[in-house]
Amino acid sequence: MSKSFTPSRSLLSSFSRSLKHDKPTQQCLRLRNINASCLHTPKSFSTSSARTYKTVEEARSRYKSGPFSYRAGLLFLTSGAGLIFYFRYEKARMERLRVAEATKGVGRPKVGGPFELVDQEGRRFTDEDMRGRYSLVYFGFSHCPDICPEELDKMAVMIDLVNGEGGTANSESSRDGKEKEKQRKLLPLFITCDPARDTPAVLKEYLKEFHAGIVGLTGTWEQVKDVCKKYRVYFSTPEGVKQGQDYLVDHSIYFYLMDPEGDFVEAIGRQHSPEQAAKIIEGHVGDWKGK
Amino acid sequence: MGFFSTTTTSPPPPKISSDGAPIAPDRTQRAKCWEGRDGYFKCLDKNGIIDSIGEKDKAEKACASEARGFEANCASSWVTYFKKRRVMEYQKFQTMEKLRAEGAQEMPGEIGQGAPGQKP
Repeated sequence: MSKSFTPSRSLLSSFSRSLKHDKPTQQCLRLRNINASCLHTPKSFSTSSARTYKTVEEARSRYKSGPFSYRAGLLFLTSGAGLIFYFRYEKARMERLRVAEATKGVGRPKVGGPFELVDQEGRRFTDEDMRGRYSLVYFGFSHCPDICPEELDKMAVMIDLVNGEGGTANSESSRDGKEKEKQRKLLPLFITCDPARDTPAVLKEYLKEFHAGIVGLTGTWEQVKDVCKKYRVYFSTPEGVKQGQDYLVDHSIYFYLMDPEGDFVEAIGRQHSPEQAAKIIEGHVGDWKGK
Repeated sequence: MGFFSTTTTSPPPPKISSDGAPIAPDRTQRAKCWEGRDGYFKCLDKNGIIDSIGEKDKAEKACASEARGFEANCASSWVTYFKKRRVMEYQKFQTMEKLRAEGAQEMPGEIGQGAPGQKP
């Protein structure tokens, strides 16, 4: 080991010889380890020796704990924890933003778009009625054997989790009820893929079993085919079926979360529990600042 | 559909809504149908039948009374759907088992049931 140091030491000494003109500093450098007598020169490195303590106790406690104190430690921990919390929050927010942005099409929206249908009261309902708040769109049909009812039960839990319990009945025609309903964060929509059988009255009967707040939408075969196409929903309903005919309809089984501008945000599938879904929705709703 | 055209009872005709369309089965009717389905499938399990459409004669012989209970409470399209779904789910299970036996790594999340374009 010492052998390897020799050349470097000789180098140092030659270096110091070359600096001989600066004599006082040279001496100081050499003496620094022995005592601090050189520190009075203007080129001194530190002024720590000038610190004074009021009492001996203070000086002693300073000596014991060094530069650390409980207060400094606490400050360190709280700021550290605060930063971790903040970064986690920001990370989650950025992730949601990324999902929302990734699905936002340039120009024409990739999923969703203008449509014109009627609700279960027979009133006209268009994409304009979705504006101003988030909406959760589900496609299905009332004669659905098992998945739609399960998903609609899930949707009811999600609505209650996000909007708070006790949704005003959509059928409530009083202005108060309608205004109150508009205050709610999320607008739940059920769009039928089976317009031949799902008339407004059928939807009204069917949906009231799940949640009073769900708006059921239907229309002509062309109108429904159009909205299914815009939402990229697989639509297989035969045209012109006879009354009383018994058939099933294929359709996609996702919940579409749409933002207050009618743009698609995220799809919620069967793998999400209602609680997870509500959390996703509330995350996006919380991010919205209006664009 | 042709499968159950012989001596099958079907559920009572649905109520007609105010605008003239048949009302969909409600919660209690659905529950009754699922009950009938579960009873029928239990009988099929006991007799080792998976595909009750393919092995129609065998299923008819073994589970005649359960089949009547099933068909009496569900629309015929639902009966066919549930029977086909049973086969599909069995095949899915078999595939999963096979993959697991081969040491396939399971990914988080669920596909298959949640896949788009599937019958409800």
